Amino acid sequence: MRLVKSTLCLLVACAALQGESILIRNATVLTVSKGTIEKGSVLVVDGKITAVGRNISAPAGATVIDGTGKFLSPGLIDCHSHTAVEGGVNEGSLSDTSMVNIRDVLDPLDINIYRALAGGLTVSNVLHGSANAIGGQTIVIKLRWGKRAKDLIFEGATPGIKFALGENPKRQGYPSDLFSGGQAAERRYPGTRLGVEDEIREDFTQAKIYQAKWKLYNEQVAKGEHPIPPRKDLRLEPLVEVLEGKRYVHAHSYRADEILALIRTADEMGFKIRTFQHVLEGYKVAKEIAAHGAGASTFSDWYGYKYEVIDATPYNAAIMTRKGVVVSLNSDSDELQRHLNWDAAKTIRYGGMTEDQALAMVTLNPAKQLGIDDKVGSIEVGKSGDLVLYDKHPLSNYSRVLKVWIDGTQYFDRDQDLKDRVQLAARKKELLDKEKAAEDAAKRQNGPGGRGSGGKPTGPPEKKPDTPNPGPPKPELKEAAR
Amino acid sequence: MRSKVFQNPPLLAASLCLAALTLSAAADDSVLIKNVTIHPVTSADIVNGSVLVVDGKITEIGIKVTAAKGIKVYDGKGLHLYPGLINAASNVGLSEISSIRDTVDLDEIGTFNPQLKAEVAFNPSSEHVPIVRAAGITTVLSLPGTGGNFRGEGAIISGQASLMHLSGWTWEEMALKRGVALDVTFPQIQMPSRQIQQFLGTPARTFADVERDYKLKLEQLSNFFEDARRYAKAKAAGGADFQPDPKFEAMLPVLEGKRALFVRAEKERAIKDAVEFADKEKIKIIIAEPRELGASAALLKQHAIPVVLGDTLSLPLKDDDAYDSQYTLPSQLQAAGVKFCFGTFDVEFARNVAFNAAAAAAFDLPPGEALKSVTINAAEIFGVADQVGSIEKGKLADLILTDGDPLEAKTSIKAMFIAGKAVSLESRHTRLNDLWSSRP
Amino acid sequence: MNNARVFAFWAVLLGALALQAEVPSAVAIKDARVVTVSGAELPKATVLLRNGLIEDVGPNLTMPADAWVIDGAGLTVYPGFFNAMSTWGIPDAAPAPGASGRAAAPATPATPAPRVRGPEDRPQNYSYERAADLVKPTDRRLEGARSLGFTTSATFPNRGIFTGLGAVVDLAGDRGGNMVVRQPIGEEIVLRGGGFRSGYPGSLMGLFAYVRQMYLDLDQYQQAKQTYAAHMSGTPRPPYDHYLEGLLESPRILLPASEAQQIDRVLAFSIELKQPAVLYGLHEAFNRIDELKQANLPVLVNLHWPEKPREADPADVPELRQLELRAKAPSVPSLLSKAGVKFALYSEGADQPADIKKQVKKAIDAGLSKADAIRALTLSPAEIYGVADRLGSVDKGKIANLVVTKGDAFEEKTTVEYVFVDGELFKPTKLAPAGGPGGAGGGPGGAPSPPQNTTGAHRDNADDLDLSSPNRTEGGNN
Repeated sequence: MRLVKSTLCLLVACAALQGESILIRNATVLTVSKGTIEKGSVLVVDGKITAVGRNISAPAGATVIDGTGKFLSPGLIDCHSHTAVEGGVNEGSLSDTSMVNIRDVLDPLDINIYRALAGGLTVSNVLHGSANAIGGQTIVIKLRWGKRAKDLIFEGATPGIKFALGENPKRQGYPSDLFSGGQAAERRYPGTRLGVEDEIREDFTQAKIYQAKWKLYNEQVAKGEHPIPPRKDLRLEPLVEVLEGKRYVHAHSYRADEILALIRTADEMGFKIRTFQHVLEGYKVAKEIAAHGAGASTFSDWYGYKYEVIDATPYNAAIMTRKGVVVSLNSDSDELQRHLNWDAAKTIRYGGMTEDQALAMVTLNPAKQLGIDDKVGSIEVGKSGDLVLYDKHPLSNYSRVLKVWIDGTQYFDRDQDLKDRVQLAARKKELLDKEKAAEDAAKRQNGPGGRGSGGKPTGPPEKKPDTPNPGPPKPELKEAAR
Repeated sequence: MRSKVFQNPPLLAASLCLAALTLSAAADDSVLIKNVTIHPVTSADIVNGSVLVVDGKITEIGIKVTAAKGIKVYDGKGLHLYPGLINAASNVGLSEISSIRDTVDLDEIGTFNPQLKAEVAFNPSSEHVPIVRAAGITTVLSLPGTGGNFRGEGAIISGQASLMHLSGWTWEEMALKRGVALDVTFPQIQMPSRQIQQFLGTPARTFADVERDYKLKLEQLSNFFEDARRYAKAKAAGGADFQPDPKFEAMLPVLEGKRALFVRAEKERAIKDAVEFADKEKIKIIIAEPRELGASAALLKQHAIPVVLGDTLSLPLKDDDAYDSQYTLPSQLQAAGVKFCFGTFDVEFARNVAFNAAAAAAFDLPPGEALKSVTINAAEIFGVADQVGSIEKGKLADLILTDGDPLEAKTSIKAMFIAGKAVSLESRHTRLNDLWSSRP
Repeated sequence: MNNARVFAFWAVLLGALALQAEVPSAVAIKDARVVTVSGAELPKATVLLRNGLIEDVGPNLTMPADAWVIDGAGLTVYPGFFNAMSTWGIPDAAPAPGASGRAAAPATPATPAPRVRGPEDRPQNYSYERAADLVKPTDRRLEGARSLGFTTSATFPNRGIFTGLGAVVDLAGDRGGNMVVRQPIGEEIVLRGGGFRSGYPGSLMGLFAYVRQMYLDLDQYQQAKQTYAAHMSGTPRPPYDHYLEGLLESPRILLPASEAQQIDRVLAFSIELKQPAVLYGLHEAFNRIDELKQANLPVLVNLHWPEKPREADPADVPELRQLELRAKAPSVPSLLSKAGVKFALYSEGADQPADIKKQVKKAIDAGLSKADAIRALTLSPAEIYGVADRLGSVDKGKIANLVVTKGDAFEEKTTVEYVFVDGELFKPTKLAPAGGPGGAGGGPGGAPSPPQNTTGAHRDNADDLDLSSPNRTEGGNN
């Protein structure tokens, strides 16, 4: 489906050529930053929002979408995703794998991109898992389904680096045998939160030495000396970028102690934490998080799945918001990212957030956390035409996404999807029939028991002793991600 | 609850009043709830209505209902009254922190354990009980198994599931109906993924291997039933050398059609196999957590087999399935005329069962059916519709007061009654909120 | 001289006449159809071989008196086929009998390797290992390969991520060294790790970071060497790095890319690495033809076409992408050919050489012209590896690697009659037509056969297509 679907999407995409404009009119426009406009219209020209209001006339040649009775929100943004990562989300081998980069392994054909798009998601912060204290370099993408990997990357968004605190990065200090095929797994420092704190400090200490080495080298060269250049170290380079403020730190965390400890390490080393991720005890140190200037990207209501979330509470987002932290709700899941709007509604139940506050947690706030709020996150003139049209208010669990635009280009349309299904099913049948016909022909040619295309002998299966039942396959082995 | 206070100040008094009720009058299970929009589920909504509860049971529903003197009156002006919601598949009470085995009492060792009873290990003090309750859920089905998720490899019958009320001092008080169904992981052909095989370094298993294992397991299951029948006969014959056996004792209600098998079957083939098995053994089954229906929906309708659906909010099984293939599973069942309800099959998200029903409604299930699927349908499927699942005279007063549709996440649950008793909506989560909100 | 033993064999057969220098040193294939590949097809010409080289090709050659003459009537002469990437010739790389595909390094080594601290420990790195040092004529797969008409392979070691330096090797010889035509021809990089918790690198992104770091290190290594050479006094000595020396020697890198997104990724990566690159795999390239054309680098298409898995659950309907892949992968060579992309064919898992014939036929059925198919198995790989001056076509002066068939190559009923490797004749194992046992046996019409290495002579089960069968008798020529 991916390929055919992507072709179809390209066709759809071609419809919105450069210079084309789209007017969505008479919808309930949820701007997020500037309130709700009943019977409002939004005009997008050349991918940017050029007008928002009541009486906007369509320029010549504009595509007009009737939004009567429908709701329009900014494209949803997920500050914590593992979608579209090929070949493993964890480079789980070392405690600091800052040399690895999500950008290298983006898979634009991951069907979860399309599924998320169908739920109104337009931007994702794609991160590593949390198997190590420093996981690697992260990237912000736009869900431009059908485009190539390089075209998914959010232009101008500051890249990040993933840190992880607590149980996950220390797990390999005292590993279980679950992942090592029964062999005693090798132990890796750190095995405690104390060690995790130290690991990060050690890494930045090295980064500073490295930074100094290059500085010295450049000075020597400037003086006309002939030093041997230092080795360019892909592990330390991104940490230097963090020190220089060119790369955001997104820190997986749960407990208040580790959150505070990282803030202090960052203070000491002279860098900033951009966001704490999950941060389920963020409410306990909301004051310190706000003072550091970090954002909090949390779950709406996850709890109970491991010991370090013992003090999780769904009121976390609301408490942190009240204490001045910029809070977003993330998915960390290919599934949950498909309905972040429904998750946002939970903050109304748990904590009494307003509708705007709730929506901001999946639009404007994650945009702020990712430093892209000048481009996306609300329906405002000058921002990208990243828009979602729903049949009902997006904070209603009965709402359904109808259309999604990114940069004014339509990337999802429910009606089109329904039509495509018929086409895809027909194509699939055609291919299956062809394969079957070829198989049958091969069988006829080779005769019964001959070497058919499969080449498998058709005799009875090899008799095996009736051993005790080996049972169903082992459960899916999931890499530590959350 | 903080939110309640500043969203709806008049409710503060009511909350305090309820708190007083819970503390001082534990036995007080009579109340008049007035001025509410009543959603009985099984009949039309009543605006500005009242419900009278006497001795834990609903005795009057209507516009003008008067209560005897001394009965507490709850003025729910502007609020909605619904029957308490039911999560028809969970591990509530039996698992505290799923990743820490010491806190988990699921998936006992052994292939056939029909004698195990979920309720006897239901921890009334589990933190999950008030947390789940706060979402408007008054009853859960607690399952003794996970379908093999917890290294329960090879288990076929995990034990008896019980319907539990989420209020009570002991599990005995909480048990609404014990032993309602046997938790069965029906043998199925499931090819292990190649990646996992490579990952584990296990030799590749062919379809023939997997099919052989499946047949072996099916044979084991049939043999177990056969043994149970022989046991029943021997017991009936009452011979001198008859020896009682708890395992087979637990199978007797199954053979008599009084206890259903709660059969986990993901794919079309497994569902068909289970139906065929039920036919052959002449037993009652409930299909649990299907993910793919195909032609089996019609088959289920034909055999009048109900279904407990898992999370609507699940990913499609295959890359080329429609993006909403799991979202529309409930409406497909609805269209086929199959009775179904919802469960979450876990603990951590057990409180969100209603959102799965709502998601189904976003994808073509009529909203009224969505509500039924977390109330009356579950009661009917597990044979307790005479007690719970709707607001009807004579039923237990399992009621929730809300400021809106309980299937909407933005709706707040304002008060709850279980068997007429006001129940606290406090939990670890609200306590943490209260405590840390006050940090200067 | 790799022909020495052949001559000895002849000597035994022909008696006292054929001793020492007096042995006939030339073979002439007379009046055959010659597909030169480099130029026009010659409908009736003679190919004269001497001293392991093609002495001459043409319609009206004077027959040297000493030449052993093969009547080429009804036969076609092609350049010997060239497998553009394999492990042929490295006996240790042969997969265990029954296993399919390339022998993969085990995910969990039997003895735990020392802890890897990062790329600087050069994990899974055999960049310096030379196929030229590893090839041996005793590789049991060579007979099967020759029987199908393969005379040459671009052979790469197969351990680790940086697998080592490949060599163009001829598929016969007295000893390993005699097989080597040119080396090193490139470094094969395998982007496959051991998985989570297998040590660094354990993920695809880890592999990319590792390869990138190696080439950054290589830059610095070269700079350091130069700086040191120019300013030894007062400059600390840079260390010697065995692994980087391997990379330094390699004229190009071979990078894997089979799925569409992998092709995009690896194309970009090859530009970043500033290394001449060759992509291999390419099964989903039917969706990336324009990009490949634009990239202007050669590619190797894996003949091991994706097929319906043999062990699949019959109720399990494959996903559309898989179906498209199975249906369209064999059309990739044809599409590349039409787009003018330089490509060659290789057979990973060509450890069942008999399958190759079927696989090439599939590409032809999917639109590849026979001429292009032959080119992709002869001159194109020779060009890609810079050995077109000595291999890949039937031209005067080139190495005498030839395959002589009855019928068009890769047609089902076609039989390979003679194979020459470095002028040495091999009489191939007879492949029965698919219809049943028997088939075309014996030599060409009554003419006395020249002395030969009858590698198939000992086979008693002529209808068994599985040439890699472990219990078959080894060829006696080596």
